[in-house]
Amino acid sequence: MSSVSKWGNLAQYDWSVMSPEFIILGVATLLSLLDLFMNKKADRRILAWIGFLGIIVAGYFVVRNTGQNVVSILNDMYRVDGFANAFKLLFLSGVAFVFLISLTYIDESKNIRYSGEYYYLILTALLGAMLMASSSDLITLFVGLELLSISSYILVGTRKQHIHSNESAFKYVISGGIASAITLYGMSFIYGLTGSTNLYVIAERLSSVFYDGFDFLVYFSFFLMFVGFAFKISVVPYHMWAPDVYQGAPTPIAAFLSVVSKAAGFAIVLRVFLISFGSLVSFDMETGQQGSVLVNTLSVYIAIVAAASMIIGNTLAMRQVNIKRMMAYSGIAQAGYLLVPFATLTVLMFEQTMFYLVAYLFANMGAFAIIMLVNRDQKTEDLKSFAGLYHRAPWMAIAMTFFLLSLAGLPITAGFFGKFYIFMSAIVHSSYWLAGIMLATSVVSYYYYFGVIRQMYMRPGKTEAPLKVPASIGLVVLIALVGTVAAGIMPDPVMQYIHHKFPLQQMFQPGGQ
Amino acid sequence: MATVYMNNYLIVAIFLFLGILLPVGALTLARFLRPSNPTEEKRKTYESGVEPVGSSWVQFNVKYYIFALLFVVFDVETVFLYPWAVAYDSLGLFALVEMVIFIVLLVIGLIYAWKKKVLEWN
Repeated sequence: MSSVSKWGNLAQYDWSVMSPEFIILGVATLLSLLDLFMNKKADRRILAWIGFLGIIVAGYFVVRNTGQNVVSILNDMYRVDGFANAFKLLFLSGVAFVFLISLTYIDESKNIRYSGEYYYLILTALLGAMLMASSSDLITLFVGLELLSISSYILVGTRKQHIHSNESAFKYVISGGIASAITLYGMSFIYGLTGSTNLYVIAERLSSVFYDGFDFLVYFSFFLMFVGFAFKISVVPYHMWAPDVYQGAPTPIAAFLSVVSKAAGFAIVLRVFLISFGSLVSFDMETGQQGSVLVNTLSVYIAIVAAASMIIGNTLAMRQVNIKRMMAYSGIAQAGYLLVPFATLTVLMFEQTMFYLVAYLFANMGAFAIIMLVNRDQKTEDLKSFAGLYHRAPWMAIAMTFFLLSLAGLPITAGFFGKFYIFMSAIVHSSYWLAGIMLATSVVSYYYYFGVIRQMYMRPGKTEAPLKVPASIGLVVLIALVGTVAAGIMPDPVMQYIHHKFPLQQMFQPGGQ
Repeated sequence: MATVYMNNYLIVAIFLFLGILLPVGALTLARFLRPSNPTEEKRKTYESGVEPVGSSWVQFNVKYYIFALLFVVFDVETVFLYPWAVAYDSLGLFALVEMVIFIVLLVIGLIYAWKKKVLEWN
């Protein structure tokens, strides 16, 4: 005791690495207090700017953390490594985009009555996502998951007077609750078998459990957790909430769900399964050979889930007339593509996933910004609201074309290389059937992405009046466009950057204590 | 190892079995021992000696629910304060600061409820 200062043992940890989370928490608290004491009629946009500033500062601290050694706090309850930093930067930039889009969305349509709460709930959701990226303990991970989920349930329902919003919030909370229960059920098996919630301890003990005749329970817990997480990343079998929820949610929140929430789901999937199941090996009795369970046995099922998501997402998207529903099905298909690196597990698995997530972030945020603008102007979410956009706002139409090309995976956009890397990983793994399905469904997806492009350029609109573009939307579209094209022309520097700045190996170094 | 794991579930199964068997057995036994003499008064719902009025399907004011939520906030606070107070000497000043942050966050919850007029009954 005497060696420890009067501040106690806990003060010995390097708490400064948690500054990004502390800042987000502090700003969210500050916003809630300001919102309470502000005049009811007062303009709440100042809160959005304070929140935006907080995100920038938090981003600065994440950047300062990158490239450092692993720091672990409280027995890996919280840890900073390359994996965590990469995902945190992705979440922070995603939420910054959402804030900019929201500024215009809430400003003119009075459909969100409690806009102060709207802003700080996005920040608490962001905090949950950051915890999900930055922990190696099942309990903390689950707390982060629930913080993100519960905040999103409320956000989806913030258009209180809107019947679709109410319906989607209700559906979201019910199916999300079931998904959480399934996840917890799977986690409880893992805890029961290994007696620990720390992922590294689980990894150590899981193989002995596996050989003691509990291989069935190990598989069972894997599938339960995977199905639970499938809800967050909206892949088959847990994808059906996405179209309804995206349609009813305010458009910026749909953008949030499709990018930040989905990326957070991938963070927890990769973290939990790569650490705890990554070192599990099985013996083949006949040949006497050793093989990784994740690579040999489980990857097939992940590949099937990925393939099913691509097929179902892309086919159903073709039949949509509501643009937000179409984007939801497109998001299901994109999540399917994103699962391919996890199913093939090549050396560059993390870089491929990250590159695709970055491409997806830019393309989806840009697309949702324009969708919001057009829908608000035309007062409908129909695909036809895009008719004649080229004549009304040529730059917006051109930018939208790039975003759609990126989502479809065509050249000179980031999406092309994202898909190319993923496709190559399937080839390297000799999963030719998976690569084939990926290629075929991509071709199918051209149909609905080009449907929007056709509306913009070739269909006459109801009006020829120029579309006024607010500055914040213009900024989002500009950044997203520059990002999409830059990463599409120079993919290699981006891959190199991810590889060097955010080394995946750090994830497998257990913290001290 | 495998048997130890399964044995743990055996205990759960025994508890489940006993839990079902005991009330069923006790009530069946009592059925044979007691005299059967039903009257109108005996069949009525017992309500502290007051005559029961109306049906049991009544709506409660939703405000009770919010009061219950507020109660939980302070209940949870106590749950965390006790172990902290017990281990205060070994945890040091850092834990004190953390606890202050925790209580401040709960106070913000109370302020929120206050400003949203949850504490008013009308």
